[in-house]
Amino acid sequence: MDVQHLETAEQQDTDWLSPTAALTQFLPLETEVSTENLIAHTETVFGFRVGSLGFLVNSDTYCEVIEQLKVNPLPNVEPWFGGLLNLRGNLVPVIDLQLLLGETSTIDRKTRQLFAIGQGDKAMAFWIDGLPEVQRAFSQPLKQLPPLPAVLQHCVSNSYLHEGQIWFNVQFDELFKTLGNQGSGL
Amino acid sequence: MNQLANPQNGLSSPSDYIAIIENLANQANEAGYPTLYDVSMIIVGALHELSQKGDTVALNSDLPSLLNRWSTLIDAYQQNAQSAVDGIMTVLCHPDLNLPLDEDDFSVFATLLAEELAANNISQHPETTTLDEVVTLQAVDTLLLPESADEPVTSIQTATEIADEDEKPLSAMAQELVELLDTEASLLNYRFLAIPFDGSPLEKEEHLELASEELERLINASKMVGFDGLSQVCTNVNTNISLFLQAINSFNIEKRDLFIDWISHVKDYLLAFSKKGAGKQLLAHMANPNWAQPLTAEASALLLPQMQVTGLSEATAEEEVHEKLATDDDVSLALPDDVNKELLDLLLQELPSYTQQFSEAIQRLHTGGSSKDIDVAQRIAHTIKGSGNTVGIKGVAVLTHQIEDILMACAKAHKLPGEALINTLINASDCLEAMCESLLGFGEPPADARAILQEVLDWAYRIAKNGIEEANSQDAPIKHEAAAKSSTDDSAAQPQKDTKTEQTESTQVAMVRVPTDQIENLFRLSSESIILNGQIYERQRRLKNQLQTMESQFTLLQQLGADLEQLIDLKDLSGRSLVTASKDFDALEMDQYNELHTASRRMVEAAVDAREISVDMKKELEYMNEVLEYQQRLVINTQEAVMQTRFVPVGSIILRLQRGLRQTCRLTGKQGELTFSGERLLIDGDTLSALVEPLMHLLRNAVDHGLEGTEERIALGKPTVGQIVIEFDREGNSILVRCRDDGRGLDFEAIRQTAKKRGDFQAGDIISDEELKHLILRPNFSTRNQLTQTSGRGVGMDVVNFQVLSLGGSLSLQSVRGQGLTVELRIPLPLSRSHALIAYAASYKVAISSKGLTQVIYSGIGELTTISNEQVLIVGDDIYPVVRLEDLLHVVDRRKERRSHSAVLLVQNGNKITAVLVNTIIDSREVVIKNLGYYMKKIHGFVGATILGDGSVTPVLDIPELLRAPIRANVTTHTNVAERIDSGSNLPKILIVDDSLSQRRALQQILTDAGFRVQAVRDGIEAVEWLANSKPDIVITDLEMPRMNGIELASHIRSHANIRDLPIIMVTSRSTQKHRQMAEEAGIDFYLIKPVQDDDLLSKIQILLDKQRTAVAV
Repeated sequence: MDVQHLETAEQQDTDWLSPTAALTQFLPLETEVSTENLIAHTETVFGFRVGSLGFLVNSDTYCEVIEQLKVNPLPNVEPWFGGLLNLRGNLVPVIDLQLLLGETSTIDRKTRQLFAIGQGDKAMAFWIDGLPEVQRAFSQPLKQLPPLPAVLQHCVSNSYLHEGQIWFNVQFDELFKTLGNQGSGL
Repeated sequence: MNQLANPQNGLSSPSDYIAIIENLANQANEAGYPTLYDVSMIIVGALHELSQKGDTVALNSDLPSLLNRWSTLIDAYQQNAQSAVDGIMTVLCHPDLNLPLDEDDFSVFATLLAEELAANNISQHPETTTLDEVVTLQAVDTLLLPESADEPVTSIQTATEIADEDEKPLSAMAQELVELLDTEASLLNYRFLAIPFDGSPLEKEEHLELASEELERLINASKMVGFDGLSQVCTNVNTNISLFLQAINSFNIEKRDLFIDWISHVKDYLLAFSKKGAGKQLLAHMANPNWAQPLTAEASALLLPQMQVTGLSEATAEEEVHEKLATDDDVSLALPDDVNKELLDLLLQELPSYTQQFSEAIQRLHTGGSSKDIDVAQRIAHTIKGSGNTVGIKGVAVLTHQIEDILMACAKAHKLPGEALINTLINASDCLEAMCESLLGFGEPPADARAILQEVLDWAYRIAKNGIEEANSQDAPIKHEAAAKSSTDDSAAQPQKDTKTEQTESTQVAMVRVPTDQIENLFRLSSESIILNGQIYERQRRLKNQLQTMESQFTLLQQLGADLEQLIDLKDLSGRSLVTASKDFDALEMDQYNELHTASRRMVEAAVDAREISVDMKKELEYMNEVLEYQQRLVINTQEAVMQTRFVPVGSIILRLQRGLRQTCRLTGKQGELTFSGERLLIDGDTLSALVEPLMHLLRNAVDHGLEGTEERIALGKPTVGQIVIEFDREGNSILVRCRDDGRGLDFEAIRQTAKKRGDFQAGDIISDEELKHLILRPNFSTRNQLTQTSGRGVGMDVVNFQVLSLGGSLSLQSVRGQGLTVELRIPLPLSRSHALIAYAASYKVAISSKGLTQVIYSGIGELTTISNEQVLIVGDDIYPVVRLEDLLHVVDRRKERRSHSAVLLVQNGNKITAVLVNTIIDSREVVIKNLGYYMKKIHGFVGATILGDGSVTPVLDIPELLRAPIRANVTTHTNVAERIDSGSNLPKILIVDDSLSQRRALQQILTDAGFRVQAVRDGIEAVEWLANSKPDIVITDLEMPRMNGIELASHIRSHANIRDLPIIMVTSRSTQKHRQMAEEAGIDFYLIKPVQDDDLLSKIQILLDKQRTAVAV
């Protein structure tokens, strides 16, 4: 049947290429198939925003958006320490980065999301604006880090400028330690 | 030194040989070898010509090697070896010499030489070198020539020279031993010279007997030192003496000279004993027929290999007095009385894997294997030996020590062990495994341990004596005499052994080593079970409430049914018209029922049934409640059992503290005695280990700052020995540690002065003693101007305070001037579970832990009044200060009117009881306390948080802590803490590099206890990686380690600019000069031998630190 159909097509207009020939006539450029590019394309990161700041999370870091879980507030703690989550039996501290970093609110509190980074008892959750987005790895980091809030100074390894948004590559382990010390009063 | 003896000594031009050959030629001429002289001088002439031409081409051929052998040839020629003639002729005919001689001339020389040899054979040495001696020498020569061709045996050299040549320097001890033998030989010489030949035969006999006794001493000495060949020769000479004694009349001066010559041969031999062919002359002399019993050529050939003694150089020399007899003590697995529990644990932890690796390496050697396996096995044996010695388990240490020696000999000789040796090593590795299992409590100590150790000892002894090749070539070790002896007294030793076994068993129980993670996981799971149980409990309670409601509904229904029935009956009576069933009977004469009746009755019955069912259900629920309660108890028990695995008695750190005290006392020259109370208290292991460091600091401070010197104490009427008491106590969920000394107490005036200098307060300020106490807890606060070893590292109360605070505890000081200081530490124990009251504080639901809670009073009891603006609660005769829970937590109740409290909690805080007003208590229950994740370790005022039955999370409050410091942590406290951390980091940092876990831990413990910050890594590679990012003040490294050893590490450090000046201390079990020298060349500052003395190590560290400080100052 197919053969007949092709023949018919060729009969109809002999200038037409066969579908197979049409599909294979363009060879991709060498640069497009180079392995380097392939790697670059597969290296994706998650980006999330808090106020004007953008943060990047490596795709191999365990993270999840948390829905339908109640944050249990704690008395007598720093205001940015939002409380605790019961995430599958583990207590996860919830941090309001906006309050911590002194960022002005840019989004309705109702649309913000809880985003947990890390697993088990090593996890921490952040209130973030909207949902995290998948970002391509940025190739050129900024030569100099822009001025950072004190808390972030030891935790940011490099930063990228992409479409007007500055993205910070954060060492979350370091950030958690800093937050832990500040939250614990140590 | 005869330079020709060494072909590697760099002779390269013909002129180098001229003087030597000329010299030898002159000697030969004097000795009556004119032909040899002529031939030599012809060669010298040819060499002269070559050197004048500046020709070195000739020396590219085999001529140099032939010339190097020249002295050997001359020696052999002079000893009448025919083969020497051929050798001399080969040199003479060598084309490179360009001699203007033809073949006829050469053959004339050959004949002349042969004739000279024959003539000398008969005429020159008819007395000293007999034909028999020549035969013996030749027999020996044929045995040795292939190996000894390059080395002359007659060159008289000093022991040191030999050492140089062999590149094995004689240790001082070996030299002493040789000198001892030499002295003994000299004494013997005097004895022989003293024999009178003009007196009576009796006198002769007497002197000969004395000489024999002296000789006996030489035999023993040479045997002890390892000169077995010499001892056998001496024995032979002694036999000759006894034979001469039997025919004393025939003993003349000639015979005596035989002995004198013999002694000179012995002395020559002692100068060259380590050379191949050593003692050849001596043996040849023994073949002299003038002896009553001369040595046969065969016997000489057998003895010759034993004459060369090589084991005296290097390490073996120090162990020359070799252990030969295995004793029960050598295989004992008994633990020393003062065993360090932690180190023992480490040994038990690493031993199984080491023994397994060792067995594997030996097995590989059994089935072929390579020198790499020997290295692996040797390294493991070395490590186990070290650990065994550190812990003090002799059985393990002795066996592995001997194995290591054997393997080291194999490695040095590049020889794989032979079949018989491998079998012994397999036995030894099995024995080691059995010992390991026994130590772990899985079995009896190996019964054949002593036999196996004996086998190993025999091998080690033979290898040390004869070298590995010789030992290896024989199938099985010759049982040492001692071994035979040991088997005979086995029966006597048996009971002793049994008691040892019992001792070992009584101290050990079967153990399972489990990773901490697994215990943590078990603990977490048991906590989850408790939480889940709580949730079921909650559900069940609700169900019960609902059932209660239902039951009352049923009762109501039943009531209504009864009412309805009554109504129907009434209606029935009043409205007769309803039923017209029968006209013959009056309504009272017969009850008439209709459907309504039936329905109402059925309804009532159903209501009754339903109520009964609900009653049954209630019973079921109650039963379920019991089961749940039982389950709750069970899961709590499970959790406690899991917790128990982490509990250790406080007493386990006592030895460490005692050691710390002794050390400080030695360093400060003060006398102190440490006593304890409450050491049986069981607490969580992690908390206890965290306590050690602050306690060590306290002890050091108590001795250094607190206790007065002996003289001062006497003057004050105090006992000479200062008393320090450490008391452990449990208070609620905290451990209370009091460290009390009877020293001088705090010097408030000095503190005030220092504080003024530091600018902590203004001159006019009035500062109370209480405030001054707090000042000494400030970072880097020290009243001392001078740095001392004990307190000069910035280790003060500030560090202790910081450590205690980071444990979530508190520190308080009580000082009485001249009577001493008491430091009280209160450290919270990790809480896993607590009984808690669930309450509301404003809008927050909180759980109040029972910590410090002494009483709960419901509202209405007691009277709330205000006394001088402070609210107080009066209950009976007691007055309590009052605080509201909301105020403690800084939460605002948004309701305009403050609700009256419903309960009052009386909470103990230190010595004070405070009344805490609580609005609503909604529940009282057992809660599982969880920490707030890995990063949020501790929040002020919270013990942790808990998950309630409904899944919600509430913080568990620590009211006493809130009462102690109700102020919320603010920015200033952050900076203070940062300062505190900084003060901790002022301590000198030490990097420990050692592949043995137990060694690493032992060093770590010593150094941490001495107030250093310590980082430990496993080998050179790890150390290099660590050094890339950090710089310690001192590096302490082992010598032998896998991947990169200590020497390589030192070279690495010395070649990198930024760490070049880093002081390095090497701590190793290698004690020889060679190793020391190697270490010195690599730039090691101090070389310490294991087991290292704590004081020694610390003083070396101090020296290096001082040096560094001075360097920085300059």
